[in-house]
Amino acid sequence: MVPELVRMSGITKRFGGVLACAGVDFTVRAGEVHALLGENGAGKSTLMNILSGVHTDYEGDVAVHGEVVRLRDPADAQRHGIATIHQELDLVPQLTVAENLVLGREPRTRARLLDRRAMQRLAREEFAALGIDLDPNRPVGSLRVGEQQLVEIAKALSLHAQVLVMDEPTAALADAEVSRLFEIIDGLRRRGVGIVYISHRMEEIEVIADRATVLRNGAVAGSLTPAPEHRPQLISLMVGRSVEAMFARPKTQKPAAEARPLLRVAGLTVRPRTPRPGRAEPDGIDLSVDAGEIVGLAGLMGSGRTELLETLFGAGPAARVTGAVTLDGLPYAPKSPRAALARGVGLVPEDRRGSALTLPHQVDHSMVLSALSRLTTLGFVRRTRERASVLDMMRRLAVKAGAPTAPVGSLSGGNQQKVVLARQLMTVPRLLLLDEPTRGVDVGAKAEIYQILHRLADEGMGILLASSELPELLGVCDRVVVLRRGAVAADLDPADVTGDDVLAAAMTAPGGTDR
Amino acid sequence: MTLLKTPPALARLTGGRRELVDRLFAVQSLVALLVVFIVAILASPTRDGEILFLTAGNLGNIVRAVSEIGIIAVGMTFVVLLGGIDLSVGAILGLSAVGTATLMVDSGYGIAPTVPAVLAIGAVIGALQGYATARLGIQSFIVTLAGLQVARGLARIWSGGLGIPIAYGDGPLQAPPAFEILNGSINGVVPVPAVLFLAVGVAAIVVLRTTAFARHVYAIGGNEKAARLSGVPVTRVKVAVFAVCGLLAAVAGVIHAGQLNQGSPNDGAGYELDAIAAVVIGGTSLSGGSGSMGGTLAGALMLGVLNNILALNNIDANVQLLIKGLVIVAAAGLQRLRRGVA
Amino acid sequence: MRTRTAILAAVAAGALLASAACSVEKDDPAAANAACGPDRQYLIGMSQANNAEPYRQVMNNDVTTAAEAVKGFEVVVADAAQDNSKQVADVENFLTQKINLLIISPNEAKPLTAVVKKAYDAGIPVIVLDRKVEGDAYTAFIGGDNVAIGKAAGEFYATRLLPDGGKVIEIAGLPGSTPAAERAQGFRDGIAANPKIQIVASQPGDWLREKGQSVADALLKAHPDAAAIYAHNDPMAEGAYLAAKAAGLDKKIKFTGIDALPVPSGGIKAVEEGRLAATFQYATGGREAVDLAKKILIDCSKDVPRSTTLGTQQITAENAKDVYAKLGGS
Repeated sequence: MVPELVRMSGITKRFGGVLACAGVDFTVRAGEVHALLGENGAGKSTLMNILSGVHTDYEGDVAVHGEVVRLRDPADAQRHGIATIHQELDLVPQLTVAENLVLGREPRTRARLLDRRAMQRLAREEFAALGIDLDPNRPVGSLRVGEQQLVEIAKALSLHAQVLVMDEPTAALADAEVSRLFEIIDGLRRRGVGIVYISHRMEEIEVIADRATVLRNGAVAGSLTPAPEHRPQLISLMVGRSVEAMFARPKTQKPAAEARPLLRVAGLTVRPRTPRPGRAEPDGIDLSVDAGEIVGLAGLMGSGRTELLETLFGAGPAARVTGAVTLDGLPYAPKSPRAALARGVGLVPEDRRGSALTLPHQVDHSMVLSALSRLTTLGFVRRTRERASVLDMMRRLAVKAGAPTAPVGSLSGGNQQKVVLARQLMTVPRLLLLDEPTRGVDVGAKAEIYQILHRLADEGMGILLASSELPELLGVCDRVVVLRRGAVAADLDPADVTGDDVLAAAMTAPGGTDR
Repeated sequence: MTLLKTPPALARLTGGRRELVDRLFAVQSLVALLVVFIVAILASPTRDGEILFLTAGNLGNIVRAVSEIGIIAVGMTFVVLLGGIDLSVGAILGLSAVGTATLMVDSGYGIAPTVPAVLAIGAVIGALQGYATARLGIQSFIVTLAGLQVARGLARIWSGGLGIPIAYGDGPLQAPPAFEILNGSINGVVPVPAVLFLAVGVAAIVVLRTTAFARHVYAIGGNEKAARLSGVPVTRVKVAVFAVCGLLAAVAGVIHAGQLNQGSPNDGAGYELDAIAAVVIGGTSLSGGSGSMGGTLAGALMLGVLNNILALNNIDANVQLLIKGLVIVAAAGLQRLRRGVA
Repeated sequence: MRTRTAILAAVAAGALLASAACSVEKDDPAAANAACGPDRQYLIGMSQANNAEPYRQVMNNDVTTAAEAVKGFEVVVADAAQDNSKQVADVENFLTQKINLLIISPNEAKPLTAVVKKAYDAGIPVIVLDRKVEGDAYTAFIGGDNVAIGKAAGEFYATRLLPDGGKVIEIAGLPGSTPAAERAQGFRDGIAANPKIQIVASQPGDWLREKGQSVADALLKAHPDAAAIYAHNDPMAEGAYLAAKAAGLDKKIKFTGIDALPVPSGGIKAVEEGRLAATFQYATGGREAVDLAKKILIDCSKDVPRSTTLGTQQITAENAKDVYAKLGGS
């Protein structure tokens, strides 16, 4: 009998009124790789945050080596042998590999000075045990992401970790690095380490995982052995069936003659002057959006949805852009968001608080920010005109706010999002780009936002909607374009496909498995 | 019985303790100015039964004494609202004072070419600093620290390191007598620099309340990324704001030269800190995006009243520094309190 | 909310000015100061350019100490901290306080001229100390004569310090400053009587002790055979002494300074303790100013000297202790 390292039973966790985990059971055995799957928001992160001591108030029990414990914080979890390798690595780039390895517990000489020799010996021993070849004296900042990950793993093991949680460990890795990581994971498995492996990539899970548990809406949807023949089963476990009802939409069949090409993208490729890790820039994208059409952008994390929208809005990093983009038949290559707005393109960005709003500012001022030039004479804001258009927009979008002068931060998430949307609509765009417009928005407001989008499309606006919620894409959009690593993997008609097909396209390279 | 009914206006005012507190905080800088003013009246020495603090000449002097700092603080408010800081204003004041004296007296240009030229120099230095922070992404603290050195150096070079006296008359090496108006007062009591300060202040209040430019400033200061994504011309606005700040520092420099009849390259040292203090006391957040021009004016006047009453009571110069420091900390503390309440 | 604050602040500021304008011409400044005579209370304003300089601190002390001895005198001191605008405001505040007499040591002449004239025209007697203002709108000026001091030092070198001649190193004040030029000129006049004395080097020490030390360090390397070092002030002389001591030359070389402030770190103590051979007093004029104030206010004298030049005093080991006590040093 393989010993159980961790047993989580009946884990329930609420954030305010939202149920993030509902009675989840989850175990990790020694020497196994246990894949944890689920859509965004399914409860994976919450579950793992409980296991690593980040969330401390939950219902249910966590047992380590059969003993029920209450983990107080990540350091406490580490003392119990549980370590997490996050997507954003917790290393200090300025320090060397060895220094990072022993950070916070540096060996000292008898004179209380840093014992560099002991430090390096420790690093070499740890790397040898893992079978890694790395110079302990290199600064971590000079290592590639894959190498940094290995340092992080070595650090966890040097702290006697027996359970290793790996969150999307291959998201930023090149193929060669992935196979090296898998070798090391294999080695860990032989040493009896239990690994929780979170990933969206089916091929990888089929190669490395011993079993897979799927979460959906905070509960365990099912558990099975990953294998290519089980893939459809896994995917349907992830997507579920019931949700689609809510998105049922009166599909007004537009006559083909009305379809007027608005945006045409052909072979769009972006090469940033200074590449930033973790970004998937457009790499040969072909795409079109007609007036009155809602086109969905699907894809996994890191598939390049946001990057494509930023490029189309002139908000991407300084880069060499190739390919042909036309708007209304005219060349379109915006140098800045301002230029994009001037051409009638608006963007509702992904991170509402970080990129769109200043919470203490007034609702009305926030709404008119992009359209001020329409409301001013000689640089002076026309108050009455401003007030009229704000009230009009608040009515159209049913924005619930105490007053137009209330601070944006006093509004609910859904209404904040409507303010962002209103700001774009005030510029009267012809093409609206939306990046996860319903994230952090309650169900009622979601439905309202969908209705608004339909109305706008019926009025002739072209809409490009990026979302990681498959039901949303399938329910709202006329077409769904699936991105994978900065390129188009599929162009699907929601009428003909299911979420499984979209997910399959997002996870699999067009030519089948690529590793 | 109707007499016992609370009048609606009063009811609104006293509608609740909490609401009253909120209302007081909304005009906190003005309330603070009022408090300081009343304390000053109470603390004022009297002579022959007259409250010295309230004498005509003294009140005029207070506003005159803060007029230069006040004008600089108006420009500084724009910069701070933007989330920046401008350390170069004192040096630009010195440079402008030297420029005024040199061009008007030594070079013999009249007021007309001199003053616009000096103001242009201030605006250009400011604009360059704004461009450097906006396009090169260097923090404004660093850029304007460098600007401070450059402006101070230019002033010393231009003046040869010595103060350039301004004498009035029609002869060569004399300034037009009309320039002496900066040293005068209306009615013999209201000093001209004070009037200029209030004019600049009121204009700035109007600009900050009614223009698209001001909305852009608040937007950038609140969330620069969001402002950029909302189509705000971030670079242009930053350049304009720093240019305005440099221009107003130059205005203060011209007034300085007129008041002291001299352009000295070392003048204005440390004025930037007084201006920042006025802005902070006025309730504008150093992290940008929130604050008001009225608060700054109140802050500058408060500093003036404070300086005056301490001097009238012959408080020791070193103790004065101590008290002023405590007042600034208290004002900043009040801001935190306000955020906690609201 | 912001709006309201802004408007209210503007209104308040306007009201401040308006109230100033309304109460115009209420007081007649000349009347308050017309009276003089004994058995009355007098408020004297002392406007100092910069308290941070020890010399000026001593000047303040001299004024306040001397005034304490006069019945009816009360002195208020304001420090302009080297800021012309601040000094103008200080004098304005004095006028508000209705001082009976103004003593001012101006930071710079030109910027202070107008406000001094304003006080003088209001009928307030003005005594200007150390640095002048322009024009003639003041009652009296009291100041030292740096040429005379330099000359006294030179004569001391010619007759007492180096009667047989020798090489002298000069450490001068800040280049371009008037006292530095005058102390150099006077010294050359003074040693002319003894042609065997030779100035082999002259470098500026900017009035600073540390600069005096580093300059002397260098010059003593070039001229280890120097017989004496003439410094334009005491701190630089002390700096030179430290440099010579480090080079093992302190017993061989004589040092003299100027200023002779009666404070523990001043030149008189340095002479008394044997580091300096001599120092020459640059009087603050504080006592003399109070004497003059007494004549004007209490004796009702209309005839006070327009300009008083303060003499210097030679301080050597013989008289250092006495002078220190006499000048009220502590």
